[in-house]
Amino acid sequence: MPYTTGMDPERSVPVSLFFTCLADAFSPGVCSATVEVLERFGATVRVPLSQTCCGQPAFNSGNRKEARAMARKFLRSFPDDGHIVTPSGSCAAMVKHGYPVLFRDEPRTLARARAVGERIYELSQFLVDILGVTDPRSDFAGKVTYHDSCHLRRGLGVIEAPRKLLRAIPGVEFVEMEESDRCCGFGGVFSLKYPQISCKMTERKVERILATGASYVTSGDLGCLLNIGGLISRVGYPVKTIHLAEILAGKTGKN
Amino acid sequence: MELNANAFARNARKALSDKTLQEALGRTTGRFEAHRAAAVAGFPGFEAARERASAVKIDVLDHLGTYLGRFIEEAEKRGAVVHVARDAVQAREIAARIARDEGVTLAVKSKSMASEEISFNEALEAAGVTVVESDLGEFIIQLAGEPPSHIIAPAVHKTREEVSLLFERHLGEPRTDSIPELVGMARKHLRAKFLSAGMGVSGGNFLVADTGSVVLVTNEGNGRMGTVLPRVHLAVVGIEKVIPRMADLPTFLRLLPRSASGQTISSYVSILTGTKRAGDPEGPERMHILLLDCGRSAILEGKYREILKCIRCGACLNACPVYQSVGGHAYGWVYSGPIGAVLTPLLVGLPEASPLPDASTLCGACAQVCPVKIPLPDFLLELRSDARDQGLKTPGEIAGMKGYAGVMKRAGLLEAIERIAGVLGQFFTKGKGIAGLPYPFSGWTERRDFPAPAAQPFRKQWKIRRGVRG
Repeated sequence: MPYTTGMDPERSVPVSLFFTCLADAFSPGVCSATVEVLERFGATVRVPLSQTCCGQPAFNSGNRKEARAMARKFLRSFPDDGHIVTPSGSCAAMVKHGYPVLFRDEPRTLARARAVGERIYELSQFLVDILGVTDPRSDFAGKVTYHDSCHLRRGLGVIEAPRKLLRAIPGVEFVEMEESDRCCGFGGVFSLKYPQISCKMTERKVERILATGASYVTSGDLGCLLNIGGLISRVGYPVKTIHLAEILAGKTGKN
Repeated sequence: MELNANAFARNARKALSDKTLQEALGRTTGRFEAHRAAAVAGFPGFEAARERASAVKIDVLDHLGTYLGRFIEEAEKRGAVVHVARDAVQAREIAARIARDEGVTLAVKSKSMASEEISFNEALEAAGVTVVESDLGEFIIQLAGEPPSHIIAPAVHKTREEVSLLFERHLGEPRTDSIPELVGMARKHLRAKFLSAGMGVSGGNFLVADTGSVVLVTNEGNGRMGTVLPRVHLAVVGIEKVIPRMADLPTFLRLLPRSASGQTISSYVSILTGTKRAGDPEGPERMHILLLDCGRSAILEGKYREILKCIRCGACLNACPVYQSVGGHAYGWVYSGPIGAVLTPLLVGLPEASPLPDASTLCGACAQVCPVKIPLPDFLLELRSDARDQGLKTPGEIAGMKGYAGVMKRAGLLEAIERIAGVLGQFFTKGKGIAGLPYPFSGWTERRDFPAPAAQPFRKQWKIRRGVRG
């Protein structure tokens, strides 16, 4: 069967999966879905098993000593060649933009961090921009709205890729929500330090989601989805959170 | 203005439960945001203007002394007297002395955030001068005895009902819910003050070095009336407001109103150059310009110098979901929103405002709208790191981060913990969300479920799939 990507099916693309600690612990289905989609489009997926966390929670809270230790471990865990793909805009942005800040006084590590940053992609970005995927070949069905994660949209500048993929799925009825690019209120440590403000923002996000009448809200970042999903499940709203990777893989539920 | 930034968390909770405030915030910030977006969309040169404005401001920061020197020279050539205050105490002394020497007992003032930094009104009141705020928003909050809550819309937190109540109580006006009527009441009251004031006080949006001009960008006529009608004009302006040339002004005038209120141009742009000359139909006989350093030179020396590019448009406030949720007063000082979260700690010291840099999700909306391209989220991150270096973090947070980093050192240890958590999580929650957790997660679970850890982490699943042992 010919690939819709226009790429040579004989030539496999080596990809290292950065599965993220959050998906590893809370939604392993997101990681498997990412592997499935990458393999569908000819990637040979490697999973470096020594990877843990990119250090973003420590970096974002100003605890740079700890963040640096985790970033070093990350840089050691991934091979020197090939693409690195992750189902998280936020974690990719951390490596790309956060690491150069962390290592600004260490020229050798900085060079390594920059080189790794050049090779890292969020999943939808990789599929559309690198593999040239136009049809994700997913059998997912349902009415879906999309939440722009802040770090995917403003951090990596990825706006259209996830939308293109969603629109290309025959069974998906894609509907934009208002203020799709507005923060959901997660903000990592922010949601623990200022939970009331965080929740106020989440409530506004959920209102916008519900107004679309969609059955699913998806995003390129699990952090947002766990936050939004936490409010949805507490109140019992009739909408489900699902990671973009799972929609692309054609699964209908978590894990 | 009294500093209360360390009470941010408490202030924010109060703001969240204030229904009137929430209503006012929702209405106004959304409108500003929408108008701004439309104005920017209608101006194809916006990005180019941003680049240019940022470059001009960086040039100013690189040669601040030179441009200030030129400004002072040109302004004094045209009859102005320029004073420089290194801190708020000195600024207050100078302002009081000017009022005393000029024999002023009543001053009308137009909007100035810089004057709030030095508690200008209190200083003049202490010297026996009555200060009347003449900007409508400032007039309202002066009656209410409150500080401004937004850079360009100081009374943004007040509803028309509250304003009518204030006018009834303080001006003896009948109650109304008509905004034009309320404006008429304020105008009638203020007109008399303009005519009898000995001094008009203003801020300054720009100081033009090559002409010695003070530029005011306003939507109400009060700014112009207060600076040309009274005998004395006093402008209180931060030193970073200087721009090199009059030719640079148009770039900023294209950016400021569009970013602030979504207007292509403000109703008034006043370029005030020197005192009244022979043949001028109007203008002040005496002009004083009080330049405030108040911590700015120190900022200029360090890694946050680009914060001094700020033109005080307030776009970052309107775009910030945290500001939209809690309003300006929660930030506990003159400046609020993302600019306040960075500038306040830099001007008053991080120990006096340490919760502010944490009051952001780092969503980046502020940087996206900033007309002079200040990297606000990067500065917030940098300040959080400074807080750790300055010993301002709680021992709990540091211990938590050390423990977390310790686990993340070894993938095997992380996996073991995940598997234990997975078993416990599945046992207690049956795969559903967790409804209650102890501190520091208790805030989260108050109104949201926390995700239950998966029964088997991905790493383990992958090992099984690939036949890897361990």
